Amino acid sequence: MVTIRQLSKTYSRGDAMVTALHDVDLEVRQGEFCAFVGPSGCGKSTLLNLVAGLDYPTSGEVVIDGRSTRTLNSQDWTTMRRETIGIVFQAFHLVHGLTAEENIALPLMLRGEQGRDIEARVDDLLHRVGMRHRRRHRPGELSGGEQQRVAIARALVHQPRLLLADEPTGNVDSHQGAEIMALIRGLAQSGGQTVLLVTHSAQAALTADYTWVMRDGRLVSRTTPSAQSVCPS
Amino acid sequence: MLSFINVVLLILFSHLRQWPLRTVLTIGGVALGVSASVAVRTANVDVLSSFEQAVLTVAGPTTLEVAGGEAGLDEQLITRLRAVPGVTSVSPVILQTAVQMRRDQPEQAIQVLGLDLLAEFNTRGFRVDQPTSERQMIDMIHPHSVFVGEKLATEWNLSVGDEVHLLIGTGSCHCRVTGILHGESDQRSSWERLAVMDIAAAQVTFGMIGLVDRIDLVTAPNLSVDEVAGKVRTVLPPHVTVERPMNRTSQVEQMISAFRLNLTVLSWVGLLVGMFLIYNTMAFAVAQRRREIGIYRAVGMTQGRVALLFLIEAGLFGILGGVVGSVAGMLLAQQLIALLSRTISDLYVPVSAGGAESLWAGPWFTMGMEGVLIGCAVSMIGAIGPSVDAGRTATVRALAPGDYEASQQLRVGRLALMGCALLGLAGLLSWPGPIQGIPVLGYMATLCLLAGLACLAPLGVTRGSGHHRSIGPTTGLSGVMRTIAVEHASRNPGRNGVTVSAFMVGLAIMIGVLVMVRSFRHTVEVWVADTVLADVVVAPSLWLRGTEIGTVGRSLPQAWTTMLSSIPEVAAVDTYRDVRMTVNGHRVAVVSRDLRLHARWSQYLVRSGNSSEQLNRAAEIGGLLVSEVLADRLGVREGSSLDIMTPSGVRQFPIVAVFYDYSTDGGKLLMDRALYQSLWHDEFVTVFPVYLRERASLDRVRARITEQLSVATKGGLPPLVISNTELRKEILEIFDRTFLLTYVLEAIAVVIAMLGIINTLITSVLERRREFATLRAIGGSSGQIQQLVLWEAIYLGAIGIVLGLIGGGLLSLLLIKVINKQSFGWTIQMIIPIGSLLQAVTLAVLATVVAGYFPARWASRQPVVEGLRDE
Repeated sequence: MVTIRQLSKTYSRGDAMVTALHDVDLEVRQGEFCAFVGPSGCGKSTLLNLVAGLDYPTSGEVVIDGRSTRTLNSQDWTTMRRETIGIVFQAFHLVHGLTAEENIALPLMLRGEQGRDIEARVDDLLHRVGMRHRRRHRPGELSGGEQQRVAIARALVHQPRLLLADEPTGNVDSHQGAEIMALIRGLAQSGGQTVLLVTHSAQAALTADYTWVMRDGRLVSRTTPSAQSVCPS
Repeated sequence: MLSFINVVLLILFSHLRQWPLRTVLTIGGVALGVSASVAVRTANVDVLSSFEQAVLTVAGPTTLEVAGGEAGLDEQLITRLRAVPGVTSVSPVILQTAVQMRRDQPEQAIQVLGLDLLAEFNTRGFRVDQPTSERQMIDMIHPHSVFVGEKLATEWNLSVGDEVHLLIGTGSCHCRVTGILHGESDQRSSWERLAVMDIAAAQVTFGMIGLVDRIDLVTAPNLSVDEVAGKVRTVLPPHVTVERPMNRTSQVEQMISAFRLNLTVLSWVGLLVGMFLIYNTMAFAVAQRRREIGIYRAVGMTQGRVALLFLIEAGLFGILGGVVGSVAGMLLAQQLIALLSRTISDLYVPVSAGGAESLWAGPWFTMGMEGVLIGCAVSMIGAIGPSVDAGRTATVRALAPGDYEASQQLRVGRLALMGCALLGLAGLLSWPGPIQGIPVLGYMATLCLLAGLACLAPLGVTRGSGHHRSIGPTTGLSGVMRTIAVEHASRNPGRNGVTVSAFMVGLAIMIGVLVMVRSFRHTVEVWVADTVLADVVVAPSLWLRGTEIGTVGRSLPQAWTTMLSSIPEVAAVDTYRDVRMTVNGHRVAVVSRDLRLHARWSQYLVRSGNSSEQLNRAAEIGGLLVSEVLADRLGVREGSSLDIMTPSGVRQFPIVAVFYDYSTDGGKLLMDRALYQSLWHDEFVTVFPVYLRERASLDRVRARITEQLSVATKGGLPPLVISNTELRKEILEIFDRTFLLTYVLEAIAVVIAMLGIINTLITSVLERRREFATLRAIGGSSGQIQQLVLWEAIYLGAIGIVLGLIGGGLLSLLLIKVINKQSFGWTIQMIIPIGSLLQAVTLAVLATVVAGYFPARWASRQPVVEGLRDE
């Protein structure tokens, strides 16, 4: 589903050049749940941003669903995100003026969809994330956990093949964090989505099929929760 | 204190560097407001000071001026005046206008002064080469000899001995340049732009044998001027005035005071809108830096100093805006002076533009400093509210997010109540009359009206979205964007309310003035259609130049009546004379014509009764018809009487009718020509209204008139023969020219309001970078982000337009019924100019979209990752 080849990202910070990602190679197959852990600044979020097309690599290539993204322009990436990618953020990033159901419906509407189908899909997702009773509430009226549930529903409403989650439990307590991870796992599994999860939390990482440890912009090691072992890349 | 200033400067410059575009917009807004104010003030001052300088320069050592109005004075009075004790010098003066002719085309008008040259060589403040021979002396007083000012000679490329062709009244004169006039000092002098003739030559040239315009007196220095004036009056006919030269400037100043005041007030609109802009910028700065404020407070900065910090920042914006605005204002003033001089010359008295050189030679530094002070004061006043808010912010709350708008939400209701109270107060203030002729309370009512609507703006912003519209299955894409935009805009009533207010104020004034001007124009159109009925008007050749051409230039011989009447297709010829006189301290137009003839062929729009009957009655009993403006000023009405000083003493005239008139703001008196001539002995006519027989050919009559009169003008320019249609068109052109300045000032206010919208949207875009980035991340395109910002602009614009229309409507009522009525006295029939209003609204919508476009474009191009990281 996702193939990353020799992916590097270098930023300029004042006069200095900072390499956030260094020749990363990776392959994630369809339906896999892959987590990335590592200290702050190790390049986890940069990797996710490059896969989402929110940022552009300095060199290397990301292939999504067999399609190279090297030549994609801004509009192509917009189409890619509308059709193939769903994103969950640490800070939820819900639109404040809209209700929970409107936030969930937003990606469909941005695609220009209308009609009863939207209503049905939003209702279904509200049910699946346990937020049906809060559908008309706005973000300011929801707890952190509830907001993240809405954000997950929004990320999945257009049935993307790839779900990217950047620290989804970073702004909620451990109990809610466990619920969120269970929700992501359950929804992704039932929808057959490939998930790339970036997290600080070892607990959250346990939800994944396997975990990549990152350090200084490189993938250092891969672990699987069942094996509890560390494999060299 | 010094360390605090260092802190302030450090913080200020870091902010200016951080938000350069908003800084530039804010300074630009203040600069525009200041420029309008400085330009109008500079132009006002320049035009008046040019007039004053001309009066005082020419007056020289004169302490008293004896004048007999437009009819002039008998030169025999000179002998009587010489005998008055305390009068040390008596000088006859003729002050008339001539027009330079070049290749038989009229060009620049100049003032020609007739003086007793032999007696006044060294007394008036000009220098010419002294005649050294008898021949030179004879040349000097020759009827066709003229001295021209140095500047004029340079512009017209004249040297001593050259011939200059001048148009004087209906005739022309080929004069010889006998000498060049220089001012006595090195400073700019009015003499440099004048032409001077010997008094006797001037009398011949201007057809004023035995007459002078004025007699200048120098009184003994050891005696009081007023005391001598009293003695002088005893030897003069009653209608002759004795005044100090300075009084002429005061009279002109008084005459145009209402016009100037209205112009000045209009120029302040830009400042008022600029104040909103500053408020907006500073309110956002406070909201944006609330954490910073918390930190300052936590490290020991007092409340007062926090507030001072923001005030100083606003003051700095004001100073920079003031400097830029002052320079721009001076440049704008150069264009404005010509326009203003033309308008004042059209409507009041001939004034010449000092021009660009006088502007820079004048008090530009003072004007510039005033501009800087105005900019600084406006900015600091605009920033008081946000600065006090900043100072009062509790440290703990300052560090919490969302505090600013939450506190603003609470104020919406209170502000709305205050708004209603202010609207009520505006209504109350519009009832009383003027204070010393100035509609002070009317202006206050206008301010209350605009402030009241501004207070209602936040409520409009929160309620403008109506009930929350949920995005349902049928909501289209634009519906989603619209809803998000509206929700966001209505969530920030504090900031957006101020933007809407600024836009509303600009628009309300634009609409208010537009409705007033259109209504006024409509009233004038109706008045012209109903009262200007002569088929042809025969007028002096340069009559359309207004007062600029002087009294001789506006006089035609009465003998032409017979000539015109003899043309077969002419049915009737009226003799219309229009002279300016002072009646009970008011300078008014005294019009005389054949009232019976006029009753038969035309009419006046009388306030009550029938025009023909009133005109015939006035002719019969020697009564007057008085314009409504003058009737209001003098406190007279139909049936009362009016005392007027005539050459044969005070005479009481019955007032037969009051009529509507829009040709002059000083007021008008109408009497029968025979009565006027019997009292004032004036044989001249200003224009001849000519009525044609049925089926007469206008072109044929016009050709006949031109042919017959060109013989009478003895080589001068043929008189104007204007058709009724052309005359009506000309009257409306003068009207439109008068309001051109108004449109310029309005446009400036609207541009500042647009800057306000751009500023708010940039602020909003900066604040919502994360939201936009989120939308991009979940599939929103850059075009959709652009759409979102544009919708927000349109929403704010729409509320501004609705409030602007309400405000404009109410303002137009205030302008028509209160301010205009109290300033000028005209009754204006109010109309609703749908077409013009649609144009104004379209312009406002366009302004909104243009103002929204650039922030929208910018927002759509921001990097997504940075936006998501943005706190």
